[in-house]
Amino acid sequence: MSGGQLLLFVVGGLSNAAYLFIVAAGLSLVFGALRVINMAHGSLYMIAAFVTGVVANQLGLTLGFWGGLVVAVIVTGLVGALIEVVVLRRVYGEEHLVQLLATYALTLVIAGVVRTVFGANYRTVKPPAAINFSVTLAGNSYAAYSFFMIGAAVVIGTGVYILMYRTTLGRNIRAAVSDPELLSASGVNVARLYTVVFVMGAALAALGGAIVAPSQAVNASMDTDVLVLAFAISVIGGLGSIIGSLVGALIVGEVLSFGVQNQYTNPYAIAFVFIIMVIVLTIRPWGLFGKAEQT
Amino acid sequence: MRGLERRHWRWPAAGILIVGALLVPPLAGLGEQLNPDSSAKFPIFLGTSALVLSLWAISYNLMLGYAGIVSFAHAAYYGVGAYTVAILFQRYHVPVLAGLALAPVVAALVGFLSGLVALRAVRLYFSLLTLAISQLLYAIAFNWYSVTGGDNGIHGLELPDFLSDYSILYYFVGAAVGVCLVLMFSLVRSPFGAALLAIRENRERARSVGINVRAYELAVFTIAAAFAGVAGGLYALFEQQAYPEQLYWTANAQPVVIALLGGIGSFLGPALGAFIYTVLDNQLSKNFAYQFDILLGGIVLAVVLLAPGGFASVPDLIGQLRRRFSREAESAVAESSGHAIEASDPGRAARIKAIQADRLPADTREPLLVIEGLSRHFGGLRAVSGVNLTVHALDRHAIIGPNGAGKSTLFNLITGHLKPTAGRVRFGGRDITGKPPHMIAKAGIGRTFQITMIFPKLTVLQNLQYAMLAHRGRTVRPFGRADRMYRDEALDLLAAVGLGPYAELPAGLLSHGDQRAIELAISLALGSRLVLLDEPTAGMSAFETQKAMELVRRVAQEKNLTLLFCEHDMEVVFGTAQTVTVMNQGQVLTQGRPEEIRNDPEVKRVYLGELEETA
Repeated sequence: MSGGQLLLFVVGGLSNAAYLFIVAAGLSLVFGALRVINMAHGSLYMIAAFVTGVVANQLGLTLGFWGGLVVAVIVTGLVGALIEVVVLRRVYGEEHLVQLLATYALTLVIAGVVRTVFGANYRTVKPPAAINFSVTLAGNSYAAYSFFMIGAAVVIGTGVYILMYRTTLGRNIRAAVSDPELLSASGVNVARLYTVVFVMGAALAALGGAIVAPSQAVNASMDTDVLVLAFAISVIGGLGSIIGSLVGALIVGEVLSFGVQNQYTNPYAIAFVFIIMVIVLTIRPWGLFGKAEQT
Repeated sequence: MRGLERRHWRWPAAGILIVGALLVPPLAGLGEQLNPDSSAKFPIFLGTSALVLSLWAISYNLMLGYAGIVSFAHAAYYGVGAYTVAILFQRYHVPVLAGLALAPVVAALVGFLSGLVALRAVRLYFSLLTLAISQLLYAIAFNWYSVTGGDNGIHGLELPDFLSDYSILYYFVGAAVGVCLVLMFSLVRSPFGAALLAIRENRERARSVGINVRAYELAVFTIAAAFAGVAGGLYALFEQQAYPEQLYWTANAQPVVIALLGGIGSFLGPALGAFIYTVLDNQLSKNFAYQFDILLGGIVLAVVLLAPGGFASVPDLIGQLRRRFSREAESAVAESSGHAIEASDPGRAARIKAIQADRLPADTREPLLVIEGLSRHFGGLRAVSGVNLTVHALDRHAIIGPNGAGKSTLFNLITGHLKPTAGRVRFGGRDITGKPPHMIAKAGIGRTFQITMIFPKLTVLQNLQYAMLAHRGRTVRPFGRADRMYRDEALDLLAAVGLGPYAELPAGLLSHGDQRAIELAISLALGSRLVLLDEPTAGMSAFETQKAMELVRRVAQEKNLTLLFCEHDMEVVFGTAQTVTVMNQGQVLTQGRPEEIRNDPEVKRVYLGELEETA
């Protein structure tokens, strides 16, 4: 493998890692604060991708994608708020079994709704005109959009970090993770805080879905595809850890990128991800950056 | 579900289901005669499909309903079963019936191997891993063209001649499903099934009565995979094909929905669910495929959310409804005032034969538990630090100390619930340092927990029976009826601790004080040589405390049990203990006979004085 090819795969892996990190960070944020693993996280991501597609194609090339992104985040955030109020609130503190089944049911409902509203056909979304060009590096051509995705992940990741560690909201969220009762006693509306956290998680899923839309065909099985990868990332990095999501996303993104390069390993690229998962679990059953849960 | 009152309608309902299933082909034939436009083939085909689905869903319910495990890989084992039949037939010309016989073997093997990996992780991570495993198997089926036919799957399986008649095929599938259901039914009623229920109800308690939780979970996962393999093989038989989407993880919606539809609380419930599902599927999925998904999700949501307290309480809800019509049970619950122990009969408890720990001569006072340099640090906190402690056989040994002295941590280190940072624990001459809780329980150390740890949805009687079964290593038995084993012994003990009137009630319905009594009874029922009691009388009145400790003391004396207990109530300590160890800040301060401790100036300063001042 030449240096140029290597760079090609590395960049491909980074752009995978970019959208996967955004999505997995949302999953981790929600799990960290609410202790609920949201199986419908991929469904929110899919809603956003479809909304981006519809709006972008209406608005045209210059503004379309940006408009789609904004509308997608708003719509998905609202759906998230609805889900939190109607479903999640009733399962906080319940057994994992109840939480898994409830959010699993949501994946079925949302899959049905998305197919009913948008149809099951593939859609393509054009990148915004301003970044719809290619650049040549070391003899290979790269879509500028790939670099945009990587940049977006850096910006969003930094934003999440600032929000969690430099704002009152972030401080409250972190306090809610360790002791919701104490937080409630100190006058914070914990129920509303939980809604905010879930909407933030949904917004991250939406950002991931909107940003990924121009780089791959939008379709009705996106929910599952991304969910499996986001889970793999969470298991590798550790549920509830944002840093873990970052490291997990980098590992999974690169493994997928290098896995698909070869025609023999291509169909089984996902298998390598699972093998890494198994290795990590064997050494640290709670993931690289996760906290050990009492059995 | 076991753990609730007996359901008298259960057997008639099962009878109706079975007769209904037998009548499908003749009724379909009759329909064809009455209405010449219709064909008998289609309803029989649907019936066959419902039979296969019920087998699949009931095998799923072995995990979900009985062991409390959520797996997203069950469709994969169903698919593996179908592919086993299809691949053997197409590539190796193995007759489909021989393939069908191998389907459970292959599915069980795949299930065992993937379960081995997935069960390294606990609960939540386990469920995520099953999802990954499922997608991995799907990727193999989808991509390995030369063997699996890739995205096309494998079609055109040929049945032996005698199965070419669809009515006979129906009965053949029905017979295979019937055999599997009988096997599973016998399994869930057996001591093995009792261990699964115990795990579902309370993993920690299950461990501390000697159940190897991981091993049982792996076993039920593998068994469920085997039956899913049979279901998949039967599917390949009557549909004459296998295709990759069978393995896709969303295909798990079927067993999940069917099990929930029919009720995960009953064994045959999912069979009814399968019938309803098949009808819905047939009516809706062709023309309203997307809306069908919404309906399935809606059903799951409705069951999970609308039952108060969530999905796990569905059996409770049914139980509560029934209880309204049962005055007897209602008044018994009302009577559970938390003072059962007041009615206890220590003399009777001490005469129960099932409790036996006299495995060593009654007069030896040799060291039974020897702890050397035991430490456990949590980050910078030295919860237990360099503790040396010897508990002599037949002693009643109390550990006292202010809150945070490390008493509960020490108990958890002894019973294997925590792993020590340093040090050794020897019990009866054997090194048990760092051994898992179930092995330590089996070795002869029983315990109570500071927070009540019982099996809430099982009856009070079953709480004791299953604990006794597990501790005596009987739960490996996959046959026989658990509810008939140790029944008299358990009833005897319940009567002795004053819980007799509540034997048939779900333990979780009893008041807090009575649940403490159950906890105590479980720890005594095991007949462990050493019993650890972590604040056994917390929350009891002075009179109850006196009764409870008298009971414990009498049983310990008669049955040669050694006691190690921690307690804040100094009257209990000095009234019961023969030896007292004082702990402070993770270390042993001093040890001696009660009167020595009472008069030790250092102890007075650190602990007793402080208590008396506040008291």
